[in-house]
Amino acid sequence: MSTKHSIAAEKFNQDSGRVTRHDQTFWSVRSKRDGLAYQLEEWEQLRESANLIKKHTITHLADYLEQFETNARKNGVHVHWAKDADEYNDIVMQIMREHNVKKVVKSKSMLTEECHLNDNLIRHGIDVVETDLGERILQLMEIPPSHIVMPAIHVTREEVAACFREKGIIEKHGAHAAEGLLKEGEDWRTSSDPTYLTRAARYHLRDNFMEADCGMTGGNFGIAETGDIVVCTNEGNADMSTSIPKLHIVSIGLEKIIPNYKAMGVFQRLLARHGTGQATTVYTSHFRKPRPGAEMHIILVDNGRSSILGNIEHWQTLKCMRCGACMNTCPVYRRSGGYSYTYFIPGPIGVNLGMLKDKDANYHNCSACSLCMSCDNVCPVKVDLSTQIYKWRQELDSMGHADPMKKMMSAGMQTLFEHPSLYTTALKFAPLANHVPAFMTNIKANAWCYGHTMPEFAKESFHTLWKKGKVK
Amino acid sequence: MSSREEILNRLRGNVRETYDFPDLGFRKLEFADPVAQYVETTVTTAGARVFEIKPTDDLNEKIREAYPDAKIIASNVPGIKADKNPDTVERAQDLEDVDVGVIKGEVACAENGCVWIPQTMKEKAVCFASETLVILVSKQNIVSNMHEAYERIKFNDYGFGTFISGPSKTADIEQSLVYGAQAARGVTIFLTE
Repeated sequence: MSTKHSIAAEKFNQDSGRVTRHDQTFWSVRSKRDGLAYQLEEWEQLRESANLIKKHTITHLADYLEQFETNARKNGVHVHWAKDADEYNDIVMQIMREHNVKKVVKSKSMLTEECHLNDNLIRHGIDVVETDLGERILQLMEIPPSHIVMPAIHVTREEVAACFREKGIIEKHGAHAAEGLLKEGEDWRTSSDPTYLTRAARYHLRDNFMEADCGMTGGNFGIAETGDIVVCTNEGNADMSTSIPKLHIVSIGLEKIIPNYKAMGVFQRLLARHGTGQATTVYTSHFRKPRPGAEMHIILVDNGRSSILGNIEHWQTLKCMRCGACMNTCPVYRRSGGYSYTYFIPGPIGVNLGMLKDKDANYHNCSACSLCMSCDNVCPVKVDLSTQIYKWRQELDSMGHADPMKKMMSAGMQTLFEHPSLYTTALKFAPLANHVPAFMTNIKANAWCYGHTMPEFAKESFHTLWKKGKVK
Repeated sequence: MSSREEILNRLRGNVRETYDFPDLGFRKLEFADPVAQYVETTVTTAGARVFEIKPTDDLNEKIREAYPDAKIIASNVPGIKADKNPDTVERAQDLEDVDVGVIKGEVACAENGCVWIPQTMKEKAVCFASETLVILVSKQNIVSNMHEAYERIKFNDYGFGTFISGPSKTADIEQSLVYGAQAARGVTIFLTE
C-alpha cells in the first residue's frame, strides 16, 4: 500500500531536471539561512528565547488576547472573533456589504487560504486580486501554492509569460514595461525575462490598487501591549493594499499574538533570516490605528487552534510562525514538491497541522518524513516537528491506516527474532539469495528492491565469525 | 455564549502547564562603528544608495542629483521643494504618479539596514506608491540591532510606522531577484549629521 504522498512524489520525480531545480532552490535558501546564523553569536539564545516566549504566550493566550483586544479598540480598530472558517467568512462578508465593496486587493495570507476566503468572495460577486507576485501568478493560473513563503517558485518563467499573455497583461502593459529593459531584438510580446515580467505585473497590480475599495492583509504578529498588527513583506504589497483603499481588514490566527515589543525584537530578527535567508524583509509595518478617514478591522480566528492547545502531544505546533524553514531544509519536501502533500501547507509543519485538522484525509503525509530531524534543528521556535510526526506514526495502526505489507513484515521479523534456532537457520541460508537472478528478487512484492538493488548477504554471518573467534 | 467567550473559555480550559516570559538579557550583536556598518549593509544586501549630506549641502540640489529625471516630487518635509504634498492631496490615488517621495526616518539599524519611518503625513501612500524614495536619516540615530531599534521607536497620532530597508523586491519568478515589485523601485538614503 502506498500513501497518496508517495504516489504523487513518484510522479514528481519522473522529471529529474525539475526535481533537481526544486531541491537546489530550497537548499540554497537553507544555506543562506546558515550563513546568517553564523554571523550572530546570540543565534541559539535568540531561538531559545523565541521558543520560551511562544510557550509563555500560548499558555497565557486568553489573557493576551483580551489585552490585545482592549488596546486595539482603544486605537479605534474594530475587533471580531471567529470560532471557525464559516463564521470568519460571514464576518468578512458583513463588513464588505456594509462598505459596498466590489474589489479587494489582498496580500498573502495562509489563514485566508485555510478558510477558503477567495472562493467565498467570488461566490458573492466580489473581485479579489492577490497582490503578492507569486500569489497573483497562482491565482491567474488557477493553481494552489506549493510553499508557504515562496508559493510559485515551481512555476517556470516561460509559464509565467504564457499566463500573462493569455490574461491580457502583456498586451496592456508589455510595451510600457519593456521600456529601457529588454535587449535589442528581444520582442516584448514573447519575452520571458523575469525583470520584464515583474515590471508588467507591477503596472497590472497598480491599476488594481488604485481601483480597490478594500485592502486585506494577514498578520505576522499581533502585539498585545499596543494592539499593533505587524506585517512583513518584501514587495510592499501589504502597504500598497492598505495605503489606498479606505478599508483595511486583517485576518489573524489566535496564535500570532505576542506580548510586547521586547518579544517583537526577537521575532523580527529571526523571521526573515529563517524563512528566506535575509537579515530582514524590506518592510516591517506596524498598523496600530486606521488611516485618516479610513476603517480598520481585525478578525481573530480560532478554527481549531484553541483545541490544539489541549492536545498534550501536539500543542507546540501553535508556536509556529509560518517562516517555511522546515520545508526548505526537508529532504523529502525538496524532492517531492508541495503538491505531493494532501494538506495545503506542505513540509514537516504541514504534516502535523494536516493531522490536527483531519487525520483521515491527511495521514498520507506521515510517510513524507525520513526522521532525519533537520527540521527540528532549524525551526526558529523549536517546534519538535519530527518527534511529532513519529508520534502520529505510532497512532496510524489504531486509526486503521498502517501499511499491511509493513505490518506483515513486522510480524515476520517478530517470529524470527523470538525464535533463535529459526533465526540461525535463516541466516545460514541467506547467502543463497545472492545466487537468485535479479529479475526474481527485484519484483514488486519485494519493497526493498524498489529504487535499490538487493544487498549481498555475507558468506559468514557476524554471529558465526564471533563464535569462531575471527572478530578481532 | 458568544464566539469570543467560547474561544477564551476553551483556551483557559486547555492550559496544563504554564511558562514564564524568558530573561532576554543575553549579549546582542553590537558594532564598534554602527554608522559604517549601516552604510555597508544598506549599499550591499539592502540594495539602496547612501548619500552623505554635509550641513552646508542644499537638500533640493542633492535630490536633483540623486534623481535627475524626476518630474514630480512629493513631500511634506519643511524646506523640500515639492510638487505634491501628502498632507494636502485629496486622495491617496493622487500620489500614484510621484517620481520621488521625500520622507524622514527616525531610527536606523545597522544589522539589517531597516529605517523606522513613522507616518507623519495624511496619506502614507507617499512612502509606498512613489517610484523612488529619498529617506532622510541622521547619523545620531543609528543603532546596532533591532532590540535597540524597538526601544527607540515612537508612534504619533497617525498610529502607523514601518521599517523600510531598501527598494521593494521580489524573487517570485524562478528566484531571480528583481528590484521594484509593487512599491518603490529605488531608495536613496540621505545620511545627515
